[in-house]
Amino acid sequence: MAAMDETLSSGHRGKPIRCRAAVSRKPGEPLVIEEIIVAPPMPHEVRVRIVYTSLCHSDITFWKMKDFPGVFPRILGHEAIGVVESVGEHVTEVAQGDTVIPTLISDCGECVDCRSAKSNLCSKLPFQISPFMPRHETSRFTDLNGEVIHHFVSVSSFSEYTVVDVAHLTKIDSSVPITKAAGLLGCGVSTGVGAAWRTANVEPGSTVAIFGLGSIGLAVAEGARLCGATRIIGVDVNQDKFEIGKKFGVTDFINPADCVNKSVTEVLIEMTEGGADYCFECVGIASLVQQAYACCRKGWGKAIVLGVDQPGSQLTLPSYDVLHKGKTLMGSFFGGLKPKSDIPVLLNRYINKELQLDEFVTHEVVFEDINKAFDLLIEGKCLRCVICMNTVS
Amino acid sequence: MADKVTGGSSRGKSIRCRAAVCRRPSEPLVIEEIIVAPPMPHEVRIRIIYTSLCHSDVLFWKIEDYAAAMFPRILGHEAIGVVESLGEDVNEVSEGDTVIPTFVSECGECRDCKSPKSNLCSKLPFKSSRVAPFMPRYETSRFTDLNGEAIYHFLSVSSFSEYTVVDIAHVTKIDSGIPLTKAAGLLGCGISTGVGAACRTANIEPGSTVAIFGLGSVGLAVAEGARLCGATRIIGVDVNKDKFEVGKKFGLTDFVESANSGSKSASEVIIEMTDGGADYCFECVGMASLVQEAYACCRKGWGETIVLGVDKPGSQVSIPSKDILTTGKSLIGAVFGGLKPKSDIPILLNRYINKELQLDEFVTHEVTFEDINKAFDLLIEGKSLKCVICMDDQ
Repeated sequence: MAAMDETLSSGHRGKPIRCRAAVSRKPGEPLVIEEIIVAPPMPHEVRVRIVYTSLCHSDITFWKMKDFPGVFPRILGHEAIGVVESVGEHVTEVAQGDTVIPTLISDCGECVDCRSAKSNLCSKLPFQISPFMPRHETSRFTDLNGEVIHHFVSVSSFSEYTVVDVAHLTKIDSSVPITKAAGLLGCGVSTGVGAAWRTANVEPGSTVAIFGLGSIGLAVAEGARLCGATRIIGVDVNQDKFEIGKKFGVTDFINPADCVNKSVTEVLIEMTEGGADYCFECVGIASLVQQAYACCRKGWGKAIVLGVDQPGSQLTLPSYDVLHKGKTLMGSFFGGLKPKSDIPVLLNRYINKELQLDEFVTHEVVFEDINKAFDLLIEGKCLRCVICMNTVS
Repeated sequence: MADKVTGGSSRGKSIRCRAAVCRRPSEPLVIEEIIVAPPMPHEVRIRIIYTSLCHSDVLFWKIEDYAAAMFPRILGHEAIGVVESLGEDVNEVSEGDTVIPTFVSECGECRDCKSPKSNLCSKLPFKSSRVAPFMPRYETSRFTDLNGEAIYHFLSVSSFSEYTVVDIAHVTKIDSGIPLTKAAGLLGCGISTGVGAACRTANIEPGSTVAIFGLGSVGLAVAEGARLCGATRIIGVDVNKDKFEVGKKFGLTDFVESANSGSKSASEVIIEMTDGGADYCFECVGMASLVQEAYACCRKGWGETIVLGVDKPGSQVSIPSKDILTTGKSLIGAVFGGLKPKSDIPILLNRYINKELQLDEFVTHEVTFEDINKAFDLLIEGKSLKCVICMDDQ
């Protein structure tokens, strides 16, 4: 590894790189660590050496998916931190050697959405579960047989090297240390913290309910805690999540398995005397979104959806409730955050020990053992399992 | 016909007067004499001067299969009147005061009434499934017919009667300086709902683009509110082309004829003409499919879809989960435009008196009480905006 590093720093610029990647070749089957070829970055693109990456449930959703937008072979992974190896033409924002966090959403800085404080959904490079690079609609990955390997949400971090559009890349100040946890801001923790802080704008003294205490849900708790919520109720079928959740500010816990005579909704409405001010759905199941909606307080309650459901899923709500309860239903994508401005803010709060990030990292594996990360997450045994790409730390 | 009764002679006694009673679903209302009991504590007996028909009256007039189908019933919930007498413990209004009764309550004391963020009073909550067939505090009726049979109330107002009894939490006092015009009572429901939805629920910013599905009185009131908020583009969607001309009065700048856009749905047309969607979309009909269309054509990133229309009980709205998560849109429901009646109706009335807010323009027809069924025909045939029913010869 060290030898390859030297070779690369001295000049693969403009040339393909041969490196290892964890390729998803068939739906639901273990990733295969194999050598691939990574083409040089085209204009507006950046080739990045991944240092740490982590597994998110959305990777698993698309790993299992047999039909489009599931595609194979593919390099999954979208939560990571790395170092710029080389840049394509017209890239001035970052330079070789910069620390960067790639993100599934873009931030071009120029379109109406990027310039508006109210939106984080860049219009110039809109979000898609695309198998290709956003601007040129081609792949930078080929296997040793010359066959195209597909990208994943413009990141593809389960590879020693990847190519990312500069709009999908956030530069991290060189003074910020590349820790194992920092890359979590590429997706999960930013999504959760942002949902509480930016999308919901939780006020001090609020009551918050969180359905699903995976990393996203716990990040919502962390965000709500930082916003001064006084009551943070976690709902999860895994009793262990309560103890874990307390670290991130969870004050109350409901296990649906314990709700025998009453529904979760009834229990929650009772304990909050009418419902929570904000309810977050962090699993990706329509029936839980309905519960979250039912549990938020009439008059001003907001139900915020963060979980990624199966393609084609529909949310159904009684028209009567929609009209008469004065509630709001909204989704939060990447927590409503603009990556290039907000990730550095969150990183600073982490460095200043205000925002907990390290506590989300429960496991580590080396790149060769990446499939263990899948097992751990599927079995519900981890929050974030960080995959360490390079043996040189 | 009962002579106009002043509090002096009838206070504490039952009043015999005329009401338009809905005896069977979808059948013309019957003008008949009824007995109106005196108000109990916290209640007010009101002589109705003007009332108007709203689509919700029509919806519950027709209804047969749901819990809300309760007959005989006195419908009507949009009106203006004068206080005839008070029950005990009523200090807010006096005999002779002009009042507007409302289907939403405002006790002023509960958490919701004290919060600027909610207009859904918890103390006397909106009684959903049966649309308030009784007086809210005692769960009894103040109406009986001449056979002694109880007649159900409606939405805590029941304004299709010369006299009605309303809980004080449902009564907004109107300053005596304000003239009792035919249009003023419209603030009891439809116009407040629309204007409030634009100005309070959505809080439309100047320069916004707005789309309104359904250009009945509520939809046109949304347009009026959006106009007052400084929206620069107000797109109306309706099956009736004539509504464009009518709508221009209230600020409409563009029109999309739905069900006739050829191969394109109204929402597709709107997305195209606004280059991505409207900032605010309002559903003012009461159809789940239109709510879905409105959601589809509000702009990603910050678009808000506001639901005002009353759908049939049991209806469901269905939206793709992916859209909810990834588009940054909000879906919001609002009752009475998010307004608190006792504080906000007087404000709207003042704007009307100062000729900033158009109200008279919503009144397209007038009928006497005897001809109340004509109001139903006009509304059902889409020929009226608001038909005011004049209760009194004066």
